Amino acid sequence: MSEISALSVSDLKVHFPVGGGKVVHAVDGISFDIPAGVAFGLVGESGSGKTTAAMACARLNDATDGTIRLGGDDITHLDGDQMRQARRDIQVVFQDPYASLNPRERAGAIVRRPMDLMGIGTPKEREDRVDELFATVGLRAEQKALFPHQFSGGQRQRIGIARALATRPKLIVCDEPVSALDVAIQAQILNLLGRLKAELGLSYLFISHDLGVVQHLCDKIAVMYLGQIVEIGSRSAIFRRPMHPYTMALISAVPTLEAGMDAGMRLKGDPPSPISPPEGCRFAGRCQFAQDRCRQQSPVLSGDPDGQRVACFRARDPEVAALRDKLTSTPA
Amino acid sequence: MTSSSPLLSVRDLEISFRTGGREIPVVRDLSFDLSAGETLGIVGESGCGKSITALSLIGLVPSPPGRVSKGQILLNGEDIVTAGEDRLTRIRGNEISMVFQEPMTSLNPVYTVGEQIAETARAHFGSSRAEAWDRAIEMLKLVGIPSPEQRAHNYPHQLSGGMRQRVMIAIALVCEPKVLIADEPTTALDVTVQAQIFDLFRELQRKIKAAIILITHDIGVVAQMCDRVMVMYAGRKIEEGPVRSFIRDPRHPYTRGLISCIPKLSRDPSDTPEPLFEIPGVVPSPADLAELKGCAFAPRCNRAINECQLHSPALTPLGSDRAVACLRQEEIPA
Repeated sequence: MSEISALSVSDLKVHFPVGGGKVVHAVDGISFDIPAGVAFGLVGESGSGKTTAAMACARLNDATDGTIRLGGDDITHLDGDQMRQARRDIQVVFQDPYASLNPRERAGAIVRRPMDLMGIGTPKEREDRVDELFATVGLRAEQKALFPHQFSGGQRQRIGIARALATRPKLIVCDEPVSALDVAIQAQILNLLGRLKAELGLSYLFISHDLGVVQHLCDKIAVMYLGQIVEIGSRSAIFRRPMHPYTMALISAVPTLEAGMDAGMRLKGDPPSPISPPEGCRFAGRCQFAQDRCRQQSPVLSGDPDGQRVACFRARDPEVAALRDKLTSTPA
Repeated sequence: MTSSSPLLSVRDLEISFRTGGREIPVVRDLSFDLSAGETLGIVGESGCGKSITALSLIGLVPSPPGRVSKGQILLNGEDIVTAGEDRLTRIRGNEISMVFQEPMTSLNPVYTVGEQIAETARAHFGSSRAEAWDRAIEMLKLVGIPSPEQRAHNYPHQLSGGMRQRVMIAIALVCEPKVLIADEPTTALDVTVQAQIFDLFRELQRKIKAAIILITHDIGVVAQMCDRVMVMYAGRKIEEGPVRSFIRDPRHPYTRGLISCIPKLSRDPSDTPEPLFEIPGVVPSPADLAELKGCAFAPRCNRAINECQLHSPALTPLGSDRAVACLRQEEIPA
């Protein structure tokens, strides 16, 4: 690829020591590229490491190993003022719009703060930019003087988005940005994020457990299981032809309006502990197709380097294909 | 519809909260029936009165400041609103139980899960400790918790979210209630676990013919689980009907909005998705409603006309099994 990616992550590991010599392998060697203007979705169950991975990309927790490149520059080990300046290009919208805004600051000051911290523009220019941002996210200029508690949940998330846009970043990490919102408000915020992406050419690293939301917003999707990416591909590839049994099970579990994409796959139990991940394929213990080989060897992502890739020994076997057909064919 | 009288019948229910010297209704004119073995979905945004309605059904409206200010809640003909606390204790668990949204805050952190299930069994059946403990293990097995004999000795914090929710369900079902109220029972859970929990609901319903009231904001869940749906907006029922008609031919503009604003999972997603339908604005607060003359949804409605601002539309029957409260429902194309 000749073009420089907005974000490029290679072999990222995030491990947390938990005492007694034990280590949580929260993120265990993941690699992906987010081209400019692309919304990249990371999906998986809770505990799969998707949020930890995203926070490591924003350098809100430290990478144990691997490289994070932002617009071509290695930011893995930046600190102090260098990292602060790098944050112009990468900003975060958090899940909880109640907890992620300072309750004692006025909305205008909250949105202006990143520019203050990075020394961007004159005070007058910053104020003008705040006005512009309020208009961009659908808030009125006079609401700058209000405190977070005076806004509804959806409006608070708009403040969070305005703050993330303040430094004109190239990439925004969105960590479950709509999961705390009511359905009607969720649509307003998703449309706003879609519009901003188109108008500003933004890239997103978008974390969500809601496959409907991810399908709607994300151009490229990676499915995580127990700290690793098990499948990656374009929106259409992942949903038209999910290759990994785990991806299939996730899609199958989503309740849909009409006779849905439900192949009757049900995962039993919970994912294994990330402290001592099992040998071989980490999904094998819950996989209905697992064979001896799956429990002994770890499958690696394979396929078209720029297209769909899957880490499964059995993805192309007839048994798996038959269930895939059931999942993706329209019912009569 | 069964010919026999319903298991649960709510008549002209009004629930009010006292605030700032005024008593403000948060649920008004609410009537509905529930038959044995039936699953009724209640949908609507936060602040529409779904959860407080559920609490009223087991006599748990926080009082003061709240109270049931009008109407009846008849369980097999007996009015829960006027029942005393002793009687309510008998009803809760035995006749009606509830599963709350947040399993971590609804379980007692200082007792093992086995003790919490056994306690319920002892209180309701008067069983011995040993019997109740056996019953607890049986329930843990029933809700699909692996190695229940060991798990019974665990405290809530030692279990995953999915397992905690199963424990909540085990507590709710230990006395085989006739009515199970589940308030967003799977919102905090992964879809894979949600699917397991709903399979469990279906199985239990088949076994003990329980009626289920499922409160959710997820229209997909409604489509998969419910027989009938009631849509609430700003404290009122604005549409009710069988789940098929709710999905295929919603009549109230709010119902239509709720269904069209969610991103729907597709087998064949477009590379350039259309923006989602938006319901502008937010649910009015109960205090604002007190000032409002017309339809509570009119300020957010793309079909509102002048008349909508003047009169609050009554719930009008539509065919034999549906009802809708909208002045313009006749004019809205199918």
